[in-house]
Amino acid sequence: MNTATVLGIAAIALILFLAARYIVREKKKGNTCIGCPYADSCPKHRSGCNHPDNL
Amino acid sequence: MRIAFAGNPNSGKTTMYNALTGRSEKIGNWGGVTVGSKEFQLKKEFAGDKEVIAVDLPGAYSMSPFTPEEGITSEYVRTANPDVIVNIVDATNLSRSLFFTTQLLELGIPVVVALNKTDINEKEGTKIDAAKLAARLNCPVYETVSTENKGLSEMIAKAISLAGTMQKAPYLQADIDLHDKNAVDAEDRKRYSFVNGIVSDVETRKTLSAETTQSDKLDGVLTNPIAGILIFAVVMWGVFWVSQTWLGPLVADWLVGWISAFQEWVAGQLENSPAILSALLADGIVGGVGAVVGFLPLVMVMYFLIALLEDCGYMARVSAVMDPIFKRVGLSGKSVIPVVIGTGCGIPAIMACRTIRDERERRATTMLTTFIPCGAKIPVIALFAGAFFNGAGWVSTLSYFLGLVLIFLGALLIKGITGYKYRKSFFIMELPKWKAPSLKFAFRSMMERAKAYIIKAATIILICNTVVQIMQTFDWHFNVVEEGAENTSILASIASPFAILLIPLGFGVWQLAAAAITGFIAKENVVGTLAVVYALTSFIDTEELAMTGGASTVAATMGLTSVTALAYLFFNLYTPPCFAAIGAMNSEMKSRGWLWGAIGLQLGTGYTIAFLINQLGTLFTEGHLAAGFVPGLIAVLCMAAALVLIARKVRAHFDEQYALHKGSKSVNATA
Repeated sequence: MNTATVLGIAAIALILFLAARYIVREKKKGNTCIGCPYADSCPKHRSGCNHPDNL
Repeated sequence: MRIAFAGNPNSGKTTMYNALTGRSEKIGNWGGVTVGSKEFQLKKEFAGDKEVIAVDLPGAYSMSPFTPEEGITSEYVRTANPDVIVNIVDATNLSRSLFFTTQLLELGIPVVVALNKTDINEKEGTKIDAAKLAARLNCPVYETVSTENKGLSEMIAKAISLAGTMQKAPYLQADIDLHDKNAVDAEDRKRYSFVNGIVSDVETRKTLSAETTQSDKLDGVLTNPIAGILIFAVVMWGVFWVSQTWLGPLVADWLVGWISAFQEWVAGQLENSPAILSALLADGIVGGVGAVVGFLPLVMVMYFLIALLEDCGYMARVSAVMDPIFKRVGLSGKSVIPVVIGTGCGIPAIMACRTIRDERERRATTMLTTFIPCGAKIPVIALFAGAFFNGAGWVSTLSYFLGLVLIFLGALLIKGITGYKYRKSFFIMELPKWKAPSLKFAFRSMMERAKAYIIKAATIILICNTVVQIMQTFDWHFNVVEEGAENTSILASIASPFAILLIPLGFGVWQLAAAAITGFIAKENVVGTLAVVYALTSFIDTEELAMTGGASTVAATMGLTSVTALAYLFFNLYTPPCFAAIGAMNSEMKSRGWLWGAIGLQLGTGYTIAFLINQLGTLFTEGHLAAGFVPGLIAVLCMAAALVLIARKVRAHFDEQYALHKGSKSVNATA
């Protein structure tokens, strides 16, 4: 196994790990739409407490 | 301490909140952008060493809520006991704003009035005597311009100093029976009379509101039911032409050049490594993600232009044009707002449906709003327009207008199924004043969307492309699939059964079926998966400075005609949205029946549209029907039959629910 192959495998593993970690962290925070700039302020984040049915 | 920011819709509350907290909450030049409350700590430059929480509330005209978002504001200021209320008053419309101000002043909580948008008043020659207004209202009044941070420090310092004091009201509502409509109306008239007295005392206008201005004349044309729609069509065509035919591809070319060079470099480094590694890293990860990121400039240009249209006040006029049509087909006038927001992303559009009071209208709008192509579908549209239609702007325009038509037809269908009768509903939205759009606002809006797009590409799309690449490389025994035996791959064996169902639509091959399936995770995946399964990692021709032309390798490799390409595009646009949007639909509808109805309707619509385009298009272009006409027709008829059965079931339930006598004919007939 040459150096390029080792680096290639390591790069794939690292990229996938970082991507998966980001997704898991966002999901844990309750963000269903990854990358959404308004996710923090999304009313969905708060279990729909502003929904008309809950008023 | 807590400071609540309350005021009329579109008075600039969220802009002020963002300026004071450093947040970047969604703002827009129209009322109803904020649908829930938000809170965050004030910046140190405003709060000093104190911990001050700012609470941004949705716009409200009155403490008696007419809409759910007004209810949030009313409920908060009544029950959450904020230390101070900052009442943002639109200085360009003082008489309307002060009605709510006088109600807030009655709560006993100290109020500071921020006389916002005073820069517009200066331009229009309207003068307001702030000192006199403060004396009449019995509270401090500060002239502010949120967009320029003008007057904010003084206003916040005063608000902090007032915490713990009691507000004395300049006007007190009489002790009336709030259930007595006539008494309430009479009391409101008295309050208006009091407000008008203050306004005539403190305000000097150069242009009276009763006069017809150039702006009014322009509004008359833009909100005309016929001219308004035609102008909207032309404006949107212009947006698509600039973003997807001219400026977007020009910038994309530069980006794609870099991505291609990087991909070649990666492939070169892995020359002596196993082929699977090169395929996974160079083709799957770099190529697949790069194919999606290559469309980023097109998306960015489009968001920039839409932000300009929104900020200058045009999109609010579009809402006014669409309102009567929406009401006529059984939706709410307010359904316009989710549809306009839906051009950006389906999820906030679905969330915006909660401002619709009527449950049936709210659910119907939630069900239909994703027919408008969102930003994630732009790469799909751009790819097919570029590869099969020479980058024609009409493909995008048609996609959006067909989306609108499907919303109308879908609404009529739901109206028919639920036995809904036309009723009058109200959609009150103030037309904001025309203004030169802010390039800063548009740029920021564009960059926020770009960031979201890149994060999505680097996470979900990257992982999906990797999985697709692996599934395409291996068979079920985890042996590498040899060239020419691609049909034995895991991906091919999973997608092939679905591909059979797509034969009547003209694209019954496993590669296209696989791309459509991965599109349910995120719609950009359609492009990424096509790039991986066809080993086409550059959809933008770097030599021609444009999207790849009709005779390009993209069109040739996919083996689609213009007709089947259009059918495939529309299938992807009008079938159900991504899973995240379906989740949002579920939480808004709060009904499994309606959710499954929505998914069924969207699947049926996408399938039927693609079937009709393929069959009729082939008939017109080649003189015969396309393959799979009979099975396709049977599938469409089955869907129609399912609709009839659902309608009958719903109406039977309807009769049972509303029959006056248990033994009545209608109940017996359905029993």
